[in-house]
Amino acid sequence: MWRSSIRVGAIAALAMVALSLVSCSQFEPRDKRFYYRALWNFALREDLAELDSEFNGVDFGHSNLYENLLLTGGKDVPAIEDRARTETLAFIATKPRLNPNEEAIAPTYMKLAWRAQNVFDEAHALHRATYDIMASNEPDKDRAIRNVVAYYRESAYALTAKRLDHRRLDQFPYSKTFRQRFPLFNATIWSYHYLQVAVYDPLQAARDLNAKTQAVRPILATYRRYLDQPPVEWTFMPLTAELSPLFAARYPEIANIFDNLHMLHDNISDILASDLLPAWEAKRAEIYRLVDHYYLASADATNPMIVQEREHHH
Amino acid sequence: MRSTISTMLALLLGLAPLRSFALDHDNLDPNRPIGMEDAYAIPKGEIGLEGGVRFNDRREGRTRVTFQPQIIYGAFDNTQIEIQGDLMSDPHTLVGAAKSGDLHLGVLYNFNTETINLPAFAARVEVDLPTGVNSKGVDTQLTGILTRSFGRLRAHINAGYTVLGSPQAQERPGAYRAVVAVSYPLGYPTSFSDTLIASLYTRESDLRGQRNHSGIELGLRHQLTSRMVLDGGLGTEFSGPADRAALLGTIGLSVGF
Repeated sequence: MWRSSIRVGAIAALAMVALSLVSCSQFEPRDKRFYYRALWNFALREDLAELDSEFNGVDFGHSNLYENLLLTGGKDVPAIEDRARTETLAFIATKPRLNPNEEAIAPTYMKLAWRAQNVFDEAHALHRATYDIMASNEPDKDRAIRNVVAYYRESAYALTAKRLDHRRLDQFPYSKTFRQRFPLFNATIWSYHYLQVAVYDPLQAARDLNAKTQAVRPILATYRRYLDQPPVEWTFMPLTAELSPLFAARYPEIANIFDNLHMLHDNISDILASDLLPAWEAKRAEIYRLVDHYYLASADATNPMIVQEREHHH
Repeated sequence: MRSTISTMLALLLGLAPLRSFALDHDNLDPNRPIGMEDAYAIPKGEIGLEGGVRFNDRREGRTRVTFQPQIIYGAFDNTQIEIQGDLMSDPHTLVGAAKSGDLHLGVLYNFNTETINLPAFAARVEVDLPTGVNSKGVDTQLTGILTRSFGRLRAHINAGYTVLGSPQAQERPGAYRAVVAVSYPLGYPTSFSDTLIASLYTRESDLRGQRNHSGIELGLRHQLTSRMVLDGGLGTEFSGPADRAALLGTIGLSVGF
């Protein structure tokens, strides 16, 4: 008798948990999705390990920054410019052969804004897929890229492939807070974004693996110079069309997605650093407001930030 | 038995592709390597092949060896389905729900990701079909899972109840199991390849009139390559029936693709 009571109790408890989750304002589905499965998966890791390890370092940098901004309230300059930046550079220097677990790097930030992280994860998977295709001997790269973009756009977390007005997206009341207070780390972040978009044209132009290896070397050298001496004179993030114009012309939707991704990174850095949004709940609400109204592809019909003309910032 | 284990392990290793992205070593599945799990399913669309060998050096009776081949699939959003068929040594001496050769089907559904105020919750439903040695009736199990992090330390609670479809002789018709566990990523901020797991568990004995099995386990999951995770674990039972485990050990491999 008491055993059946336990069973009934357990089922009732689970039902209560489920109901309370659905009704809770902080209820968020996890919604992790596997990457697009193809023969070229991990071609970059296998064949251009030097470049791949730099991207693994970049993954650490963003998450480590967000966690430290959140935990320090965005006010502690040495904690960000010295300690967090040094940790990031130290991780990059280990030349990691695998991408790090970002939930272990930024456990608090992930709990604050998981949905935004899903947006990043999907776009980063698209980044990885395009590098793999470029590095591989896939005979029909255009078709492979069309397939991964189609897969990306199936996601509820897909960024818009339309060109957004990044100037306007950089004019919220809290905009530029991060770059003004933490110019070294901001320039480091922009250096990552330089690396992420500058390699496309050289990879696309090179005919074989040896040529690809040689083609990315100057980009890597420049990137490492930027890590040593962050380009604090830059006034805006690097744009795909400026650094890989052929890639951007051939795949304008992907270029837009990556530029929008990098702009969202800047917005979130500003929100986390801003005194105008002191409470974590306010930061979370603003991050989600931006994502929902200005960044997700699902908002295309009403997004006031969508523009047609090209931007030139540098 | 030994040749069966060797063959299946070789098959598993042979299926591991050279180019391989990992089953996340921080996503904890039951028995990989210890008897606990976190509240998260594998990503939608992912396929995982998992296998391991577990030995149970009992205080009374012969050491029992179990081979644990498993296929898991992220079938839907936040949902993984599992097919498993444990093969055990001395299959005619087993009592309780776990019988050698039973076909085990499971579904894990994750309700939510963890947020600042809410832990992650999941529910698991499992059935064991009586395809194994001396197995009768369909056994069912319902488990609730909770995961809550404190910085990088993650705490997990698993609480489940198993109902035997056709209990034999002195077998209990049903038994509960409860586990509290913690996991911690080793190596931060320069390495992210290892997760340490420790658990404390108690479960009702398989036969009526016996004390609960209660013990501790310690495990490590190591990301070997982009798609492969190696795991190993040790444990002991500090109270329970006379044939409780003196030493438990597991080694296993997971491949995601």
